[in-house]
Amino acid sequence: MSGKTIIEKILSEHSGEDAWAGDRVWADLDLAVVRDFGGPNVVLEYEKQMDDEPVWDPQKIAMTFDYQAPAKVVQVANNQRICREFAAKHGIPHIFDVNSGVGQHVLLEQGMILPGSVVIGTDSHMNLLGAVGSFSSGMGTTDVAAAWATGRLWFRVPESIKITFKGSYDYPASAKDLTLFLLSKIDTTKTIYKALEFYGEPIDALSLAGRLTLASMVTEMEGKIGFIIPDEDILAWIGERAGRKVDAVLPDRDASYWEEREFDIDGLEPLIACPDRPDNVRPVREVAGTHVDQVFVGSCTNGRFEDLRVAAEVLKRMGGKIAPHVRMIVTPATTEVAMEAVEAGLYETFIKAGAMVTNQGCSLCTIGHHGVLAEGDVLVGTGNRNFRGKLGKGSEVYLASPAVAAATAVKGEIALPE
Amino acid sequence: MTDEFVFKGRAWVVGDDIDTDMIYHGSYLPLTDPKEMAKHALEYVPGMEDFTERVQPGDILVAGKNFGSGSSREHAVITLQYNDVAAVVAESFSRIFYRNAVNLGFPILEVPGITRELDTSDELEVDANTGRICNLTKGTEVQGTPLSGLEKEIMTAGGLFNFLKKDMQTVE
Repeated sequence: MSGKTIIEKILSEHSGEDAWAGDRVWADLDLAVVRDFGGPNVVLEYEKQMDDEPVWDPQKIAMTFDYQAPAKVVQVANNQRICREFAAKHGIPHIFDVNSGVGQHVLLEQGMILPGSVVIGTDSHMNLLGAVGSFSSGMGTTDVAAAWATGRLWFRVPESIKITFKGSYDYPASAKDLTLFLLSKIDTTKTIYKALEFYGEPIDALSLAGRLTLASMVTEMEGKIGFIIPDEDILAWIGERAGRKVDAVLPDRDASYWEEREFDIDGLEPLIACPDRPDNVRPVREVAGTHVDQVFVGSCTNGRFEDLRVAAEVLKRMGGKIAPHVRMIVTPATTEVAMEAVEAGLYETFIKAGAMVTNQGCSLCTIGHHGVLAEGDVLVGTGNRNFRGKLGKGSEVYLASPAVAAATAVKGEIALPE
Repeated sequence: MTDEFVFKGRAWVVGDDIDTDMIYHGSYLPLTDPKEMAKHALEYVPGMEDFTERVQPGDILVAGKNFGSGSSREHAVITLQYNDVAAVVAESFSRIFYRNAVNLGFPILEVPGITRELDTSDELEVDANTGRICNLTKGTEVQGTPLSGLEKEIMTAGGLFNFLKKDMQTVE
């Protein structure tokens, strides 16, 4: 009998069963999260099914308002109120309101996400928490409402793919380019519902921010989760916030993988995902010169402090001003990131350059809040999706690293950082 | 499973990689009333802008590969359900749509190569139980992969909550 992969270990531990790829198991959950998107739907479904019955465990439910923060339309304000009232009624303490930022990042900073945990939430990028070895999964309304009632959900144990990177790369290439490289090379029809495990020196070298970037776009690879085993520094960072010692979940040495792939990323260059698919990836140099109307730095993929710092450095190095016709929007992922950026003087750099710095949250990744595009507009952003019409009918979205986004803002056309 | 999982209806054929923004655009996420959600089904699928005006109860949506990729929004399933679409048959499903459909008791069926076999407006008979699809217009038949195991149990119970409630009663 061979050993277990990370996902098989986590789901065995949480189901009390001997879980192997392909099995269906009912797993105990560590946390069930809603946002102001999906949250009201979950509350209404819960009340429809369960009336006034108490929730399974108020401590294991969290609400994070990042979708339209603060609310722009009355409907969303009402939705947020529905969630707040439900939290008050059921004694749910972990409610992170519109001043908090992107939910997954907030929960991570709060020490609420531990390696080896099982977390679900109403966000298809919930799985970015695989960056610290948590099995986190985006779920629909019914799943989360059922989780609030029972504390358990069904899972089909995914097959695992072991992905090992080798080689090294230098600035201006970054974790985003490594991610886009993988998206372009991996056949996403073969990664549907697979658990990916990432290894190799280029992965070991990634900071927490870089790991979050890679893990967040496993969704665009159609994967269920992408695990990166946390190193000592990250374990200590989480442990300090959680107020307890935490350990990583490691796969067995003889774990059985559905597939093992190796990618050489030596000399990786800056890449960009062109409209309308995240895997429509080309070298930046090939599309350099494309006219751009708006630039966005932020999102759950690239909204950490070091993402903002890279963007600010590029702006400074390239003259400190964005092109007159460009609208640039910068959004820190969380309050903590915003504070760090203020203290480091990044806000001053952005504002002097002509950029707008918004409050923490999902910002324009969710259409209908701010920064939507006109027909014919082109945006270069650091987010994770560029589906047709995502930010407005007839507009186009390119996805790139913070460095490329900042250089593009200065030049007013897709450009490499100098 | 009974006759309630056999559907007869007209086909609507769409292509590969129909994502959740195309099925139900992000700008309508604040809506919580399913009847309101239903007004925006497939609005961003090219050529399907007037789908909600032309769809008839019992129609069957036929899609290519990776149907429903992207967001976790259950709205994408609900918007089809509330247009009385009987089922979605696709070459493959994005997992998150697949799971949401199961949890809402909405019939889905995977049939590799299906979009090559038929045209929009063909009359179909879909048996979600056996996975067999008869094209009554063309007189052809194809075999898909029906749900099995736990997914089938949840689907036939009418969705996750019905399944859990049945389960709770059995335990008690």
